[in-house]
Amino acid sequence: MTELLGAILPYITTILLFASIYAVFALGLNLEWGFTGLINFGHVAFFAIGAYTTVLLNISGCPLIISVIAGVALAGFFGFLLGIPTLRLREDYLAIVTIGFSEVVRSILLNEEWLTRGPFGVHGFDRPFQDAVPYQHYNTFLLILFVAILAIVYFALERLIQSPWGRVLKSIREDETVPYALGKNVFSYKLQSLIIGSAIAGLAGTMLAFYITYINPCTFKPIETFYAWIIVILGGTASNKGTIVGAIILWAFFSGTKFIDRIVPVPFESHQMGAFRMIVIGLLLMLLMMYKPEGIFGRKEELALSD
Amino acid sequence: MQLIINGLVIGSIIAITAIGLSMIYKTLNFVNFAHGDFVAFAAYIAFFANKELGVHLAVAFLIAILATMLLGVSMEKVVWRPMRRKKASRTALIIISIGFALVLRNTLLFIWGGSTRCYDIPVRRGFDFFGATITHNQVLVIIVAFILMFLLHYLLSRTMIGKAMRALSDNIDLARISGINVDQVILWTWVIGLGLAASGGVLYGLVTAIRPSMGWYLLLPMFAAIILGGIGNPYGTIAGGMVIGLSQELSTAVLPTEYKFAVSFVVMAVMLLIKPEGLFGGAK
Repeated sequence: MTELLGAILPYITTILLFASIYAVFALGLNLEWGFTGLINFGHVAFFAIGAYTTVLLNISGCPLIISVIAGVALAGFFGFLLGIPTLRLREDYLAIVTIGFSEVVRSILLNEEWLTRGPFGVHGFDRPFQDAVPYQHYNTFLLILFVAILAIVYFALERLIQSPWGRVLKSIREDETVPYALGKNVFSYKLQSLIIGSAIAGLAGTMLAFYITYINPCTFKPIETFYAWIIVILGGTASNKGTIVGAIILWAFFSGTKFIDRIVPVPFESHQMGAFRMIVIGLLLMLLMMYKPEGIFGRKEELALSD
Repeated sequence: MQLIINGLVIGSIIAITAIGLSMIYKTLNFVNFAHGDFVAFAAYIAFFANKELGVHLAVAFLIAILATMLLGVSMEKVVWRPMRRKKASRTALIIISIGFALVLRNTLLFIWGGSTRCYDIPVRRGFDFFGATITHNQVLVIIVAFILMFLLHYLLSRTMIGKAMRALSDNIDLARISGINVDQVILWTWVIGLGLAASGGVLYGLVTAIRPSMGWYLLLPMFAAIILGGIGNPYGTIAGGMVIGLSQELSTAVLPTEYKFAVSFVVMAVMLLIKPEGLFGGAK
């Protein structure tokens, strides 16, 4: 029994580590899309900016905590830059511009080798408390740290959205002419939501870097954005609790499909398995939006789906 | 000179693929993020018919167009029309379209793998044109693209269905009360828009390699073209496509080629800042 547990426990730790990282990542998106109604299809760009800024500053000698703060701040700053040309216009422009931005960021990461080391990626940066925690327990320590970060982000967001500020966001999602008529600066609220959501994605990026200890541009493909989308929609749009559950389901699904061929024979080759997983994610997005747009924990009234 | 020719070739492909995106954007009031993957789908169908079934490329071209139209019409009947009936919002439609984009692209990847493919056509030497080299394929692309643009112009300005399509994209409710069969015309919009996108996809496969991600990388230049030209304006889209194609290629004279498509991103962002209604659009 203990033997079995010893074999399974590392897998569970891995799933939970990834789930906590992606839960934070998706909570950023949930603030933007779930609570404000902003369509951000380039969420991965802020994930990448957070991760790269942190590790690049750290390997050039900057203390870890300052690097993390810089990474989070820079991700938020780019959210601000993207919001300016798009948030005054119809909601679909933000989708178009962010999806383009995430590809531009990735091609800069790939090609500016003097800054980002190009396709070889970055490793050899510090990890939090790496000297204090024995190596064989490090992942357990990281899991505790990540769950703590997730809890802080979760409760901070819950407080924010229940504040007057959060109520304005929700009213923008429902019908932005109403807060506008009440004298609220709708553009500024949207911009704030995008900045905070992007900064949270940046924080998730640094968490990812600390866990996988090696990042390269391939870590930040556009598909990462849609992992966040499926997490939010599956768990329930505008439900932070649902987002966390969605992240756990997604990562359980990923590791399940990774090892499924050991239990039942699968007639695919390995590259096909990756494509198959994406087909499932795409279909799930379509079917959820068509038949159960509120997800598992969402409420129908809380959807940004009425014009 | 070489860059200008390459730019015109890519520009005409962007132009004819983007027209469909623009028409659907305006008529149905949503951005179809799967549009680029329809383009790639067409290139793969043409590749399949040409290389694996062994038919002539011209026949493969027609098969690809028909298959893409069929896929588009089935999507309209199974997904978009029921969703319109349910009064689904734009944002719901956008998310469904991106889900479908993932499904389509990864289906191509699943069946044909990630390696690059090309048609079964003889490789011929290009000929000299004022010091630049033009390949036969590039000439073919430009000729076919211009024929298609002319056909579209004829269709939109001279036929009943074209006029109905323009009426719909202008104001769908007014079109409905003046007795136009809206569902029928929307179907035609898909057929024509995706037919153009499919032709663009097959042509794109002639001048570049066929990969599952080819449509994805065309999506951003297409968006830039329709924003430049003004959404729903087919002539503006053609002009926008040419501008984007040329500026992408000319940028390689000063920037590394990897940043080609970043050019369309910058053009788009600047355009949204200063004149979001497009170059030819009036203030709305």
